[in-house]
Amino acid sequence: MVKRARKISAKTSERARSEVRKSLEALAARDDRSADFDYFMDLYGAVQTPEAVSERTGRPVVSLLCIQAPIELIHAAGFHPHKVVSGSQAMANMALQGLPALTCPMLRAVTGAAAAASDGTPGTRRWVLPTTCDWVVKFPEMLESSGAGSIRPSLHWMELPHLKDGDSGQARWLEEVFGLKKFLEGCGGKISRASLDASIRIYRDAWRALTRLAMMRQEGRIAAVWFALIAGAFFLDSPERWTKAALSVNPPPGGARSDERAHVFLAGSPIFFPNFKLLDLLEDSGVSIAADDLCSGERIFPGGVTYRDSSEFGMMSALAQRYHQGCLCPTFIDNDRRINNILSRRMASDFQGVVFHVLKGCHPYDLESLSVEAPLKERGLKFLRLETDYAAEDSQNLRTRIEAFRGTLSRR
Amino acid sequence: MAFKVGLDLGSTAIKAVIVDGDRVAWQGTRATAPGQEAVAEGLLDEGLSALGARRGEISGIASTGYGKKLYASADRHIDEITSNAAGAFILSGGSARTVINVGGQDLKILTLDDSGGVVDFKMNDKCAAGTGRFFELAARILDTPLGDFAKLCLDSEEEVEINSTCVVFAESEMVSLLARGVKKEDIIRALHCSVARRVSGLAGRLSPDGRVYLDGGPAQNGGLASALEDELMTEINVLEAPQFTVAYGAAMSLGA
Repeated sequence: MVKRARKISAKTSERARSEVRKSLEALAARDDRSADFDYFMDLYGAVQTPEAVSERTGRPVVSLLCIQAPIELIHAAGFHPHKVVSGSQAMANMALQGLPALTCPMLRAVTGAAAAASDGTPGTRRWVLPTTCDWVVKFPEMLESSGAGSIRPSLHWMELPHLKDGDSGQARWLEEVFGLKKFLEGCGGKISRASLDASIRIYRDAWRALTRLAMMRQEGRIAAVWFALIAGAFFLDSPERWTKAALSVNPPPGGARSDERAHVFLAGSPIFFPNFKLLDLLEDSGVSIAADDLCSGERIFPGGVTYRDSSEFGMMSALAQRYHQGCLCPTFIDNDRRINNILSRRMASDFQGVVFHVLKGCHPYDLESLSVEAPLKERGLKFLRLETDYAAEDSQNLRTRIEAFRGTLSRR
Repeated sequence: MAFKVGLDLGSTAIKAVIVDGDRVAWQGTRATAPGQEAVAEGLLDEGLSALGARRGEISGIASTGYGKKLYASADRHIDEITSNAAGAFILSGGSARTVINVGGQDLKILTLDDSGGVVDFKMNDKCAAGTGRFFELAARILDTPLGDFAKLCLDSEEEVEINSTCVVFAESEMVSLLARGVKKEDIIRALHCSVARRVSGLAGRLSPDGRVYLDGGPAQNGGLASALEDELMTEINVLEAPQFTVAYGAAMSLGA
């Protein structure tokens, strides 16, 4: 039985490696590939275990699933915040045996990867999980059900207040951020006012680099797949090295946006390497992404943190506020900011429609697609909701819808 | 004479329409099979032969449908939603504002503007529930030709329910109903109602405004239109040859 399980794990791991290989080969073969992208491609090609990331960054790793925990604080404590994500269909399939069919594909893939790599004993790495969606809350159980071992001994929960407006939620979140500080210190981390200030500056620089890339994409100077690749690599190396490489990216020759392409805003569920199916289909159908609000894209973290009060409390408060108020995750109750963000971005860009990506099983985004559709249409934007997962079998169906949607954009 | 050709390479059938001006000169269909380009070529030859025309008289070919790119020599590849809208709009004399298309593997609901352009649309995802495949399966289980469904539906006397439009689960529902001695006529009526509910669910907030048309192969079955009228509480119109609307629209996309 154990032997069979090991064989399955080995086979799945090989399939996942093949997915990565094929995706990197496809990227390498693109006409608009430039040497500036090599650093990021190399990161995806490298081993992604916590040990490997730790060795690369020179810091012990704190594992995260999303962008809700303040990464500046984790970095300030001497750790590397490592967002554990996966777009691997092979890994998602591997986990399916022990999980409900409609489980979030991303967490399924992460669970599958953990199961494939685990010998069933509890892991020793540190985990920080803010209670964003139900899938995240159930993640430790998912791991255990799939034979990936338990992360509970080294897990810290951050209880997320789901109401943003009002002082109560913000005050409770600030307490949670102080709770995270205590956890990190309990793990051997040391946080000083100076280290926190330095960390905030490092991530502010990273934010500037990301914004520069987003602007290049908006202007059609780099393709959406390259932007997604670079943004997705953010947690795979030290923020300083990533920022330096991101600032070195220049538009590839011939990367200018053709006026014949339709321009859209991409909203909704995140997209993770190596599954760039939706990005590829949009590009093939003559649709360019001018901007996005994906937590794998322009929102890889909630933005540069600024503060007037430079005391430790002042910086902690600024961090808490930025990560609570600045987050557009649909798990929040009062999330009108998503609509306002899309509309304000439209002032600076010329997109004609919104493609709303729903990862099958991601219920908060699924529901939010309904509430944002009508207000955006009322303001003259076309709207296309695309629900999909990591499987390739619906590509033709998606292509038909995207092509027809593109037709509606050019009719304006 | 210059003919325009529309080829709809669908999941279950390939349809060809040869158009003279905006008039349908010939239309024909063949079952989808491996080597779709060759099947489409054969169909086109059949049409040209029936018209006594030659290849040189074709001014352009547009392909649409899931297999549109497989017909590599087309002058234009056009998506089936845009083709469908154009075809239904022209064939309805410009009156269509909502089109419900039941295809071999998909369901679509389109809203059109007053020039036949697509304003909005809904389409099922990868599940084939409630599509042509569903009816094909039902015909096999009930051992009844699809062409007889509309007539048999009218003879239904007892109201029964089929809750699933899933091609897998509906099979067991139908088998259970047959085992209970429920008449085929009642099962067929229940099938139509089940698909109508699925269409209604897909439409969601996309309300069927203006004149509503049903097309796609299963639209030939009058029982479906009737069930949709009941479910959507609006008049449903069916074009004369609803399975060819998309191919016709593709041909017309080639312009004059």
